[in-house]
Amino acid sequence: MSSALNWRHHVVIQSLLSRGPLSEKDLHAMFQDLTKRNPGTERQLFDSFILKINKALSCANFELRACIDQYDGQVYYGVVNTVSDEHSKLGTKYTVPQIAFYKAIIEAIVQDASANAAIFSIHALNLSLDSQVTIVTDSQSQGSQPNVPTALKNFSLSQKEKTLHELVRDQWLDLTTDGVIRLGLKSFLDLRSWFRNNDLPSCHVCNEAGIKAELCQNENCTVRIHHYCLKQLFLQRKVAEVCPSCGTSWPYTVPKAEAEQTEDDNEPRGSKQVIKSERKRRRANRVVDDEVGSNNQDELNESRESQHGNGLVQKRGRPRRSDDADIGGSDASQSLTAISDARRVTRSSARLS
Amino acid sequence: MRMANAAEDFSQFGISKEEKDKLVGELIRYMLFKTHQNSGCPIKREELTQLVTKNYHQRNLPTFVINEAKEKLSFVFGYEMRELQRTQPSSKARTQSSQQSVADSKSYILISQLPPNVYEKYVVDVNTAHLSGFTFVIISIVYLAGGKIPEENLWSQMRRMGLGETESSHPVLGNVKQAFELLVQQRYLQKDKVNGPEGNTVYYELAERALDGPMNDRIKEYISQIVQDNTSVGAA
Repeated sequence: MSSALNWRHHVVIQSLLSRGPLSEKDLHAMFQDLTKRNPGTERQLFDSFILKINKALSCANFELRACIDQYDGQVYYGVVNTVSDEHSKLGTKYTVPQIAFYKAIIEAIVQDASANAAIFSIHALNLSLDSQVTIVTDSQSQGSQPNVPTALKNFSLSQKEKTLHELVRDQWLDLTTDGVIRLGLKSFLDLRSWFRNNDLPSCHVCNEAGIKAELCQNENCTVRIHHYCLKQLFLQRKVAEVCPSCGTSWPYTVPKAEAEQTEDDNEPRGSKQVIKSERKRRRANRVVDDEVGSNNQDELNESRESQHGNGLVQKRGRPRRSDDADIGGSDASQSLTAISDARRVTRSSARLS
Repeated sequence: MRMANAAEDFSQFGISKEEKDKLVGELIRYMLFKTHQNSGCPIKREELTQLVTKNYHQRNLPTFVINEAKEKLSFVFGYEMRELQRTQPSSKARTQSSQQSVADSKSYILISQLPPNVYEKYVVDVNTAHLSGFTFVIISIVYLAGGKIPEENLWSQMRRMGLGETESSHPVLGNVKQAFELLVQQRYLQKDKVNGPEGNTVYYELAERALDGPMNDRIKEYISQIVQDNTSVGAA
């Protein structure tokens, strides 16, 4: 076997499986510690290391891949399952109602028309799980559990709260100190195909799903761009600060926290090998919540133009990556909301041309 | 050479290499996902066999697939798929051993093959490391009691460590009774009810997971280290 893995590869695989996703910085440090080679100056060596792992992992439909945390632009690596089959359904300790609750939160986050990719805890706890009945019933049809809808209805507030903390602990979600729920690292890693299959609007620069992004101020324009892609576009490429599509002025200001950190390449340097996932999920109906508070309503209401930017300074509560604590995820100075359906239609039309 | 043998072995079952690889991959995935879901509880060989026999009925094919999956788990992930022989409580060992077939009592766990220092530095999950400590302490108590201890004696020792059976919100372990019951499910301990002149007595014994060679050796090292530490503390 010319592509034999040694104990160093095993360390990386087992570490990611056991401890969860690692930042690029931490993975590079581990690689250097294990191999005594510098992944920065010997990038090809690091890439070959990852490629060899992925060739081996593919025999069981796993992949070591990179993703970008869209809130801070940092690159993270993790091992993900690439095929959704009956075996992978065993790989969770969460109950059916808990998974339905997680799905409801994810949908509320990604359907945020202002692309802030966040909801408040109170909003999450009040999400109705009724919209998840179809998905849950279909996935459980073989199990013939007629009481599943009842289980969803009986999922109590305290159970939701407990589940929320478990999802944060396991890094499927992220909870800031001021009670804002955001996507966790595992969601960015695992749901990449789901983002694409559900036709979420993508970033105009990197073409990945633009969940946490800045919107063009032109109401008729559908362009959205990640904050780190904006930085790359305007600062590193030295182009005019206008929308690349419609030419409307794009007022870009460097967030204070980001200005202090060293500028580095934001492009992921993970494995070139991509195993296409065959996971497809039907898009559930939008979650409608009548109990949104006034503050939430100003931010989340898709039919209203927001005159104020998100004043919240979102502090990241991730004890394992204390080195990232200085990087505040401050939002754009001004965000523009547009009707989600209109954007979707326009984008579809654009793709036909 | 090994590849040639493998090809010959599977060709006798009338299935292609692709079919074989698919079965092996499925078994690997099952082991990994099930191990995660059940917090490391042993997985019965019968479950693994059924993954193969639901679509293929060739005799001995499950054995070959399981052996191939063992090699792949070691080669790709660095995990040993260790086979355990299910033990019976001592009071039932004589009456039931002849009735239960050997195959039915086999189960598997995944163990990392990394050296302990590397494992501790890179792989140990800080969120669950306290459970390992708890496991070792409980097993050591039963070990020092000769491998079998009355339930009340065991809980008496645990209460001295601040672990009461009614404690449901321990700052580290959470529900102590649940954490303890997990040791039984993971087959570190097994429960044995004995009828005596004074009524039923519940005993806890070491089960196959704790009796497994490397684990057993580590328990001895661990106990002797504690004894040495206590000795040096006493001397100071």
